[in-house]
Amino acid sequence: MLGLIKGMIITWKSNWRKPVTVQYPDESLPLAPGYFGFPGLIYDHEVDEPFCVGCQVCARYCPTDAIFVTMKDNPKFKEGTSKRRKIVDSFELNISRCISCNICVEVCNFDAIEMTDTFEAAGYHPDVVAGIPALIEMSEKQRKGVLARPLKETR
Amino acid sequence: MALDRLQTVDMTINMGPQHPSTHGVFRMVLRVDGERILDCEPYIGYLHRGFEKLSENENYHTVLIHLDRTDYLAGFCNEMAYIIALEKLLGVVPSERAEYIRVIMCELNRIASHMMFYGALGADAGALTPFLYAFRERERLQGLFEAVSGARMMFFYFRAGGVRIDLPDGFIRECRRVLDAVKFGIDECDKLLTNNEVFISRTKGIGAISAAAAIDYGCSGPILRACGVKEDVRRSEPYSIYDRLDFDIPVAYSGDTYDRYVVRMEEMRQSIRIVEQCLDQIPDGPFMGKVPRFIRPEPGEVYVRTENPRGDYGIYLISRGGDYPYRVKLRSPCFCNLMALREMLKDCYIADSVMVLGSLDIVLGEVDR
Amino acid sequence: MPAWIDAAIRVAIMLFFVFNIVMVLIYMERKVLAHIQQRLGPMRTGFHGILQSPADAIKLMVKEDLAPSSADKWVFRSAPYLVFVPIFMMFVAIPFSSSVVIRHLDMGLFYLVAFSSLSIVGMLMAGWGSDNKYALLGGVRAAAQLISYELPLGISILGVALLTQSLRLGDIASAQYPLPFIFAQPLGFVIFITASLAEMSRTPFDIPVAESELVGGPLVEYSGMRWAVFFLAEYANLVATSAIAVLIFLGGWSWPFYALEGVGWLMQILAVAWFFTKVFALIFVVFWLRGTLPRLRIDQLMTFAWKLLIPFSFVNLLLTAAAVIYGTAILALVWVATACLGYTVYAYARSR
Repeated sequence: MLGLIKGMIITWKSNWRKPVTVQYPDESLPLAPGYFGFPGLIYDHEVDEPFCVGCQVCARYCPTDAIFVTMKDNPKFKEGTSKRRKIVDSFELNISRCISCNICVEVCNFDAIEMTDTFEAAGYHPDVVAGIPALIEMSEKQRKGVLARPLKETR
Repeated sequence: MALDRLQTVDMTINMGPQHPSTHGVFRMVLRVDGERILDCEPYIGYLHRGFEKLSENENYHTVLIHLDRTDYLAGFCNEMAYIIALEKLLGVVPSERAEYIRVIMCELNRIASHMMFYGALGADAGALTPFLYAFRERERLQGLFEAVSGARMMFFYFRAGGVRIDLPDGFIRECRRVLDAVKFGIDECDKLLTNNEVFISRTKGIGAISAAAAIDYGCSGPILRACGVKEDVRRSEPYSIYDRLDFDIPVAYSGDTYDRYVVRMEEMRQSIRIVEQCLDQIPDGPFMGKVPRFIRPEPGEVYVRTENPRGDYGIYLISRGGDYPYRVKLRSPCFCNLMALREMLKDCYIADSVMVLGSLDIVLGEVDR
Repeated sequence: MPAWIDAAIRVAIMLFFVFNIVMVLIYMERKVLAHIQQRLGPMRTGFHGILQSPADAIKLMVKEDLAPSSADKWVFRSAPYLVFVPIFMMFVAIPFSSSVVIRHLDMGLFYLVAFSSLSIVGMLMAGWGSDNKYALLGGVRAAAQLISYELPLGISILGVALLTQSLRLGDIASAQYPLPFIFAQPLGFVIFITASLAEMSRTPFDIPVAESELVGGPLVEYSGMRWAVFFLAEYANLVATSAIAVLIFLGGWSWPFYALEGVGWLMQILAVAWFFTKVFALIFVVFWLRGTLPRLRIDQLMTFAWKLLIPFSFVNLLLTAAAVIYGTAILALVWVATACLGYTVYAYARSR
């Protein structure tokens, strides 16, 4: 009977401890820096366009085929304001397929993608496919006040 | 009425894949006579995702994301096995600091995985509280994983020659704090269940297997050590820096569910010892060794064994040159341990089936791959 | 007022009371378990989730009433009521104070034991009628368990009946003024609590509904209102059994404040409040046990009943009978027997 009584004492003690529950949608635990949420597109504020040139490396390496990218000629390159010959035309991330594995960030040659803190895909009318504006917004939200430059250490 | 003329038929009970206590999507068909199990037929493959085939179309590093998803409770330990194999193929030596980081993460992962085992075994036995206590402790460790690797379960953290990023600032202090809390938590879990009369009567002598049978089935890890075989890859074939560390291999002798439980509880304490030593010894320096720019190993093959929380986790990696591995074969400890289930469940009761299965601590992602 | 109208009103009040106390208990169990596990429990519905039980009740009432196509429909549909009605019938005889009661029965104790064993028919019907192997196993387990534990339960309270020379519950409660029977009958109390935990299918004896292997046992195919009736029955049984334990072992309303036997309405209210304080304390212990203990296995459960509880309950009965004839000093031996029981359980677990 001793073990039984010992167990009862343990449960009695923890009855009076502070609960560890976090009431999730109201409050949430702070995310660690470099948290793997969904990938976002980093925005180049100097030239006013995303870093992404639409080279499709991420789309090729994506293990779940969640990324669809197309490329176009950069009009700003003709004007001479940008050094990027090509620029991303459309970048679609299928949020429901993305497994937040960080591979797109790893393989990107232009450091144009980063993992953002956005990880909540649920909603009443979720946008399953995130386009360029949404992806840029995810990245911007994370680095508000920070100069929009790719973080080398995320590689 | 003559009772001997009364025909009785054995009943078959299908447990799983959708069943709360089959630890994932394992399915077993029990042939029972009343409450007693006559035979047990395990069916696997419900979670088959073709990891080995998928790996042939990934380049050498991105295979890791599939490895994280095989044994999803011990991602770091799986990555460790694969990365050592890859480093051997490449002829790359990891930096000293990276070795320590890897061992720290692996051992923390072992504690987290065993905590999961503890909670699940408690839940199988019908106690609700151990599960929540175990998750409370596991949550602390998950916080460390998140701070280090950015992810809570699917880490993608190790790289050939090192790790992806260095430990965050203040990690060592934070890790010591967490370890103290976890030590206290393990003691509490121990007091709650280990000496409980009901728990003892549910686990002692249940699902016992002899050392010879366990070796024949290819069991490894805590299952084998609970049978009295002092076999641990960390000691018998030391990899990484385990030969420099001082730790014991817990062994129990009757090979039943209770001994597997006891072995795992002790392993958690030993893991804490290892992590504390590593935290004392960890050197400064680069977190990456010298690595070629392109990961293109020479043709060749290598087999690496490591000690996963569940046992002997082996990676067989074949390269034929080029960017992609020719073959990645996984020697899954869960799979071999699970095959002994039929032997263990002989003459058990239905209620024991979930206990014995829980004591094997299978992860179906790894069994089915 | 004709007697039957009076009775009908009393029964209606009691039914209302049972529904409400079950809701309170469900809320209490969730909160107690949550805090034992360092969680918060229900927090969203109302202040600290206080409306969670009514919300659940409404949800269950509007849910679709499903029956498996291969089920034995009549048996399946009537089973929940056959579980609930006998348990509710127990409330007819339970006095909450010297005059707050539906009917004072001269055979009250006997009546309670008789009705507490009837609900097993409903469990067996639920297990059989569902046409589900899990449910069938659960139903058979329930039958085996409930019948086995009926014996120690009945025999353990016979000692009290011997001491008071009465089966009337009011008399038993009043007879405990200086000393409640838990001190004179410790062995009886321990056996009664253990056996009634099994009768109620509470942890560590929740084998019929074992959610880890039988995923709910006889209840596995039930949904909506019928499932709610099972739930209602389970918690009503918890109240009834705790009330019996308080009445016959913990001194009911009369110990340690004998004045609560008085007839004034204030005294009656105080008596009922005091009675329920004890009942809830006992129920808290049941929840606490649930938060601590794993579940026994069916064969261990039967062994426990037949090899341990029934012999010890006979020992208790014999010692009590001897005490009634030869003097109360013999009751000291009951304490020795209680220690023996505790040691046997301990030694059994050690020996394995």
